[in-house]
Amino acid sequence: MLLLQSEIASILLNGLQQGAIYALLGIGLTIILGTMEFLNLAHGALYLVGAYVGLIVFQETTLTNGFLYSIGITSLGFDGGFLAAIVLVPVIGFGIGLLMERFVAEPFYDRPETDQLLVTFGLALIVEETIKNVIGGNTFQSIAPSTLFGVNVSQPVSLPFVGLFPSWRLLIIVITFFVIGVTYLAIERTDFGLVVQAGTRDSEMVRLLGIKINRSYSLVFALGAALAAFAGLIGASIQTISPQIGTTQALVPAFLTIVVGGAGSVRGAIAGGMVLGLIISAMTQTYSQWAQIVLYLFVALMLVFRPQGLFGTAEVGE
Amino acid sequence: MARDTTALSRRDVLKTSGAAGVAGLAGLAGCTGGGGGGDSEYPALGNYPVEGDEVVFGFNVPQSGSYSQEGADELRGYNLAKEHLNNGGGWVDSWEDLSGDGVLGKTVASVEGDTATDPDTARQSATRMINRDNAIMITGGSSSATAIAMQKLCQEEKVQFMACLTHSNDTTGPECVRYSFREMFNAYMTGQALAPVLAEEYGEDLNFYQLYADYSWGQTQQDSMNQFFTEVGGWSQIESVPTPLGTSDYSSYLSDVPRDETDVLVLNHYGLDAANSLPQAIEAGLDQDMEIVVPLYNRLMAEAAAGSIDGIFGTADWSWQLEDSASQSFTEAFRSEYDKVPSYAARLAYTQALQYAAACERAETFYPPEVIRALEGYEYDNAGLGAETMRACDHQAQRDVLVVRGLPSSDQTESRLLEVVNQTSRDQLGYGCNEGPAAECELGEYGDE
Repeated sequence: MLLLQSEIASILLNGLQQGAIYALLGIGLTIILGTMEFLNLAHGALYLVGAYVGLIVFQETTLTNGFLYSIGITSLGFDGGFLAAIVLVPVIGFGIGLLMERFVAEPFYDRPETDQLLVTFGLALIVEETIKNVIGGNTFQSIAPSTLFGVNVSQPVSLPFVGLFPSWRLLIIVITFFVIGVTYLAIERTDFGLVVQAGTRDSEMVRLLGIKINRSYSLVFALGAALAAFAGLIGASIQTISPQIGTTQALVPAFLTIVVGGAGSVRGAIAGGMVLGLIISAMTQTYSQWAQIVLYLFVALMLVFRPQGLFGTAEVGE
Repeated sequence: MARDTTALSRRDVLKTSGAAGVAGLAGLAGCTGGGGGGDSEYPALGNYPVEGDEVVFGFNVPQSGSYSQEGADELRGYNLAKEHLNNGGGWVDSWEDLSGDGVLGKTVASVEGDTATDPDTARQSATRMINRDNAIMITGGSSSATAIAMQKLCQEEKVQFMACLTHSNDTTGPECVRYSFREMFNAYMTGQALAPVLAEEYGEDLNFYQLYADYSWGQTQQDSMNQFFTEVGGWSQIESVPTPLGTSDYSSYLSDVPRDETDVLVLNHYGLDAANSLPQAIEAGLDQDMEIVVPLYNRLMAEAAAGSIDGIFGTADWSWQLEDSASQSFTEAFRSEYDKVPSYAARLAYTQALQYAAACERAETFYPPEVIRALEGYEYDNAGLGAETMRACDHQAQRDVLVVRGLPSSDQTESRLLEVVNQTSRDQLGYGCNEGPAAECELGEYGDE
């Protein structure tokens, strides 16, 4: 019985930790999709940028190849620590989001979805290849801090039922849920959030009411980008960093999250992220070889039997 | 499959007619043969004869995917070999078969491919090299799955394959082919080398738990660990759990390791997989409850997990720290070219390219069956690991294996992360031609029967 409780507790913790990152990615993607009906395949690239900016801010990293190395720059970074990265990464992500909205997304709002897909996918490839060529295609070690606010987070902590659990991963759950909570409140309880929500339902009507929705669009895009970049920073603190992570670890999970949660719904993205995190965690810990099969089967069944997702109001693609 | 067969037929027709044309023209001109592999002594086979002044080698390595870092260093090794074969330097100056003036009078040219660490992509890329670029020899890997896919293709196409970074027992076991040779040791030999050291270090009658990358290499690796840990140390396996190749988050797998029962955790991961699984195991505090072992180390992976390797045992193909003259001359040549010390992936690549060239020189032709015969049973001691034999029965090099241990962070330097604990002699390793993986090896035809 104790073994079962321990197993369940450990599945829950691992699932929450993974699900929180998916939720961050999903929220960013879903508010952009819901508000502007813009399909952003460069969302994974923002995760990638967040990871690399985090790496550069967090520590001084030795370069071994790439353009910078070829011109004599053998190390890169500010050694600013993780707190500086937590502040700077979302800010830089926000700035990149503003620029992306103005120069990439806006010209394509009235174009077919295929055009949006092509331009954002192209942008994702450009970002990935640029990082590969400038900083190098090699892999960097994860950037978890050893202490935060004077507390040692490199040692595991002993939890009831679970036993030893990495303290940094526990802190990640707290930090990401805090960010998710703040985002949720900003969307649900502020004037800005009301405009965004109204824009999701009927953007024409919002314009007719005299609200400058274009400005909100920019802010929504930037917020989505900031969340993706923040997710990249969190991801980089537990996994190795390489130019491919934007696609493999961010883009696909982000889309799965909004398929499960429902397009355009922040609550859906949070729920979708958690459900996916828990499925992966539970299957990996019990029948690991079935984890991917069950995950994609679940998503396929969602599309068949509940295409609007858990909290979505319209079918995906409608 | 059908497409491949069609391509083969078309290419064969073109090659045969091309060879006939060349032979005809040569006859008309009163030539006595093309030299350098264009000799008329042998019929056309694969990409033989070699036309023109250049001979093309195909370097097919992972430039993306889980093993991309290893692939980058393999390419450095190959390109250095090409440079030395054409212009002298490095081992070419000391290997008596090689001249530093190309191979059989032809300049060595190369084509590069990206296997993306994926067998299908590797096969497609190798097919292009054979059909479009007329590569006389393909070399590459990792992973073992890509190496096996390539060597199978090369056997069909009658083009030589020199296996580089492949450690699965299958490569020179059930999947062995006549047209492929492996310099690297295998999982079976890792088990033979590692088990006695671990039994001495950690004791006997322990319980171990394995995670393994779920493909050819990981599967044979965990099999061999189970066999030798059980036989040599009297250890018992609790469970062996597959993890998909390319997994980045191992936290759920690691949560499932029973801390109370497990004495040793064996992480059968490599490349980026190991760069994630090892630090995550340390982060989860598993090293406080048990010993961790990474059976197959490499420097690139150790770099990515540098903070987590203190005291962790594994095996390695070779180390630039070895003090023999061959190791040191290769290290110096590599360092002067790339301003860094070579990983063992680079040594394997360099060795395999040179071994093929030297075999062609000994055979005095590029005709594949003769080159193969020049390699089978070949004994050498100039590749940095003492005396070696390229065994004829399974094309597996019989050689020493290094047991290494991760250094504590305080003792690490940029280029020195591991220390060599033991160079296990080949006399203590290996297996007969009817034992272990070799028992399942059927090499297939030379192509001139």
